[in-house]
Amino acid sequence: MNCEVCQLKDLEVEHFEIREVLRCILHTIVFHRALGLVRPKDIDLELFDVTYVQCGDVELEKKIDEKIEHFISWVEKHPNKKSQICLSFYEVKNKQPYWFTNKIERLYWEQWYINLNVAQHPKAHSSKSHNSKVVVDPGEEERIARRTAVEASLREVLFQIIKFVNEKKDHVPPIPNSDGVVYFPHEITIPSSSDSAFGMDMIKRMLQTGHPTMLS
Amino acid sequence: MDLQSNLQPELGKLEQIVSQFLLKSLHIILDSRVPSLRSHDRSGDLSLGSQVRKSDKWFNLVLGDRPASLDNLNFWHRNVMDPMIIDVILVHQGSNSPSVAVGGSVETVIERWVVQYEYPRVVAAQTGESSANYKKTYKKSIILLRALYSQMRLLPAYRIFRQLSTSSRTYNFDIIYKVSSFSDPFSRAEEGMMEEHSFPAVEAYPGRLCISVTYRTTLSDFNLEPSTSMPPKIITDYVGSPNTDPLRSFPSSEKGVSATSFPLRGVQAPAPVPLQRPHSWTSGFHRAAFSAQNQPFVGSPPAYYPSPMPYDYPSPPAYYPSSMPYDYPTPPTDIRGNRVQHYRVPTHQKAISYDDYQLSPPFSPSPSPSSPSYISNAYPMQTRVRSETAPVSIPLPMQSRSFRYLSPNSSDPNRSSLPPLSPRSRKTDPSSQESPSGITYFRKIESLRSGEMQPVTANHYTGQKVTRDSKDDSGRFSGLLSSSGSPRIGFSRSSSRLSFQDELDDIDFSYPFDVDDVDTSDFHASQNLDGKKASEFTSQSSPIGRKSQDAAVGELVRMLRTAPPLRQDPSCYSSHSMKTELEGGVATASGFFMPRKTGDALEELRSYREMKDLLLSKSGRVISKEEA
Repeated sequence: MNCEVCQLKDLEVEHFEIREVLRCILHTIVFHRALGLVRPKDIDLELFDVTYVQCGDVELEKKIDEKIEHFISWVEKHPNKKSQICLSFYEVKNKQPYWFTNKIERLYWEQWYINLNVAQHPKAHSSKSHNSKVVVDPGEEERIARRTAVEASLREVLFQIIKFVNEKKDHVPPIPNSDGVVYFPHEITIPSSSDSAFGMDMIKRMLQTGHPTMLS
Repeated sequence: MDLQSNLQPELGKLEQIVSQFLLKSLHIILDSRVPSLRSHDRSGDLSLGSQVRKSDKWFNLVLGDRPASLDNLNFWHRNVMDPMIIDVILVHQGSNSPSVAVGGSVETVIERWVVQYEYPRVVAAQTGESSANYKKTYKKSIILLRALYSQMRLLPAYRIFRQLSTSSRTYNFDIIYKVSSFSDPFSRAEEGMMEEHSFPAVEAYPGRLCISVTYRTTLSDFNLEPSTSMPPKIITDYVGSPNTDPLRSFPSSEKGVSATSFPLRGVQAPAPVPLQRPHSWTSGFHRAAFSAQNQPFVGSPPAYYPSPMPYDYPSPPAYYPSSMPYDYPTPPTDIRGNRVQHYRVPTHQKAISYDDYQLSPPFSPSPSPSSPSYISNAYPMQTRVRSETAPVSIPLPMQSRSFRYLSPNSSDPNRSSLPPLSPRSRKTDPSSQESPSGITYFRKIESLRSGEMQPVTANHYTGQKVTRDSKDDSGRFSGLLSSSGSPRIGFSRSSSRLSFQDELDDIDFSYPFDVDDVDTSDFHASQNLDGKKASEFTSQSSPIGRKSQDAAVGELVRMLRTAPPLRQDPSCYSSHSMKTELEGGVATASGFFMPRKTGDALEELRSYREMKDLLLSKSGRVISKEEA
């Protein structure tokens, strides 16, 4: 099976919006791919007028939040960079132990790239301090306009996800038979501390998900 | 389906999947659009530990209990080939929509979902393996339903659904639905405002499952806003105020249902009542209640008032293609009467607040056994009072009624917090100075009242108040009717007692006509009697209308005179006092609106004295209640 890749639209977000936006996107993707028994949970975003759906699994929430925190700390270290978060779904295959594949192998069948441009304006900090009344008025209008734009973009991204999820279904592996909440195994990758390392991650992944013929 | 026999088991499974798919998608759509169906508490459903019904596990999407109405749609199982068309309809007030207008409100289809199993005419030969087709179909339909679930939250209609379902306020719109297997196509104009979105179909050999939606891209051209509800405040010109419609007709006992315009002070122009559809009823009775208050006529659907259970009502789904889905039964008249009353509740200061009213009818913190009926009694009484019994200075009935209303506070939880009489005493003092001759009496009464003889004084006070009231324009009941929501029987007199009235407004007064849940059946009986009598009244509250209602007043008087004794000494409070009042007053608007003369006042005084004595003797029981 091939690996479907989806590059989501770029999103310009401010620092304080990262958490919510990422949660929204990541949960939405997982909701559409967690095909086990799920009790959907509606979550309203605070910053935007958007409602997304979570799987209602506490473990998953924790995992996602953890990754988001990692990402935020990474962004703080690398300000004003285009960043990418990759959510990958894979299948665990126990391959015959070969000379370098003793371990369990992962076959990625789907990857989502969330592209964020984190803008860190000086004003952003002031807005975080909740002194909204003290903020300069023209800045307020601008912020509102920007917020609306971000909301619209976020909605577009969500529509994009839903569309992609529906269009490509053939590659989704059969659902493992088990009770309870079942997800396809997935992982969230954030860019590591250096760009080159990030690139290495990509190469590693390519090797893993490369043509089976390469590995065999 | 007529296919090879070796496919039968698979077809059977497929058919099951398809029918469950239809049901599940309907559940998702209605759950995310129709607030009334969501009224059951879902908070507990989504905990991981809770048991999940097997039927809910379909497609691995647990939605919680399916509303009972959806179960009625199992007819879809009969023919899975028919498309299932779900119209999400916005019921709103509006003039700019081309949709059908019913009763002042307009229905507009804001979303039309079409869920269908498309079966091709020519079944393509199946290529590839066929054995596990249904499994793939199932997996893909899971994804499709997830996408549907998410999409429901991204479309514009979701916002107003959330407004309706989560807010405790009431709105001037509602969302209902209609399910059918065919639908009228949209008009050009409507189509122009809508967009279509189709989900990619799921292969379900030999056919495929499709979901598509045509939705309004924007709902901003509808005037959707919270319905203005009258804030709890004193309405100084209550029933019978000169400002109210003098020709207003009150519901009579016979019909119980009639257009009645109540003084809607401070209330916005009447908003059209949301259509009384069976399934829209369950969207929260309070909402209808509020809409009722905005309406001049009682058309609101309080049918579910007595029982807030969402599924007590006729099952909504109008899956009869030809029938209107919104056939609603006539609202029970008395309940409607209650409803009408309901909006008045806030007019009484400290009256049972809207919130209280909003609570389910069984709500009645009052410890008295009659509390459940309290609401239904109190408000009807109010209705009667306001609408019918308005100004009635009838010592006889007052006396009989005063007992009933004697212990308002004790039985009425809402009023229990209010001091029964002392504040009134205080308050009435200054105002009493304004009244003419009767004031001296009033003061006397007050002095009596300030003591322990609260119930008694209450009676007297009420009696006095009746007199006072009568002086005031008959509409001045708001003050008199205490927050307990006792019906105010205004005795309209010619002299106006405005300031007095106003002071009384603040007093939680056990008005003689307090329709509180007096526990004695007698009280209720007297209440009923009064109600009956009241029902025969036309609006007498307005002094302007007085003149036009002499006949009604006379009738009332006659009725009261001839009424069987209400548990009290019939000898007391003979109608003579009333007669005297009537004699002088019939000529004027109503017998009770006669100009006050000293003679009249003295006679009244006498009658009140008698009443007081009677009440004193009987107040023992009531006092104890009141103190409680």
